[in-house]
Amino acid sequence: MTAFDHEELGRLIAALRPVPAGWVRAAQELPAARLAIEGIVSRAVADAAYRDRVVADLESALAEEGIEPTPAVLDELRDRFISD
Amino acid sequence: MTVTSDDQLVARCRAGETPAWNELVERYSRYVYAICTQGFRLQDHDAEDVFQDVFTRVYTNLDRLREDGAFRPWLAQLTRRSCLDRLRSSAREALAEEVEPRDVDETLSLIDDALMVHEAMATLPDNCRDILDRFFARDESYRVIADALGLPPGTVASRISRCLDKLKPLVEERGGAARPGVG
Repeated sequence: MTAFDHEELGRLIAALRPVPAGWVRAAQELPAARLAIEGIVSRAVADAAYRDRVVADLESALAEEGIEPTPAVLDELRDRFISD
Repeated sequence: MTVTSDDQLVARCRAGETPAWNELVERYSRYVYAICTQGFRLQDHDAEDVFQDVFTRVYTNLDRLREDGAFRPWLAQLTRRSCLDRLRSSAREALAEEVEPRDVDETLSLIDDALMVHEAMATLPDNCRDILDRFFARDESYRVIADALGLPPGTVASRISRCLDKLKPLVEERGGAARPGVG
C-alpha cells in the first residue's frame, strides 16, 4: 500500500467540508464593514441624536449601511462607542 | 494552474486589495471551520461566532504578522485561541486543558494534512477539482454529480479515480509521502 492511496486522499479531501452558506460572504465583507463602522462613528460624533439612535440599536445602524450585523462586527461597533 | 502564494496574497491584503482579501477568506474558510467543528467540536452557532471573530482578528492584525509566509500557522493559532476562549466562556471554571478535547492535536494535524491535499487539488484542472470536491467534501452521489456535470453516470467513478491518480504525485511533491503512519 502506498503512502497516499485513493482512500486516504478521499478521507483528507472530505476533512475540509464546505462552510455553511453566508459565513464566507460575511467574512469577506469585513473591509466594507470596517469602512461602514468608521462612517457611523464619524456621523455619531457630529450628530448626538444619531448617536443615541445607534447606541439604542446597533444592528439597525449596520443594516442601514448594508452590513451584515454579525456578532464580531457588532462587538467592534460597540467597542468603538465605548472607547470614543 | 498557477495559485497565488500566501505571502503574495497577504501582501496584497495589506495593500488594501479587496479581491485578495476575498481570496484569502475563501482559501482558508474550510480550514478555520474544520478546526472549530472537528478540532474543538463546537456546535455551528458557536463555530459561526468564532469563525467571524477569527477573520476579524486576521483583518485587524494582518500588519502585525512578521513573515507573510507564516500566515497559516498564525491563523491556526488565532483559531485555536478563539475556540478555547469560547469553550472557557461556556465552562468558566474549567482549566484550558480540561475544556480542550483530548485528541485535539491529532485532529489538527489531520486538518493540516487535509489543507495540504486541498492546496494540491487547487493546482488540478477545474474538472478534476470540481468532481473530487463534489464527491468527497460535499458528499454528492454519482447521480447528482452526473446530472450536475452532464456526464453519463457510469463514468463518474472512473473519472474520480483518474483525478485521484493525478492528485497523488502533487500531494507527494508537497511532502505528503513523508507523513508517518499512513498507508
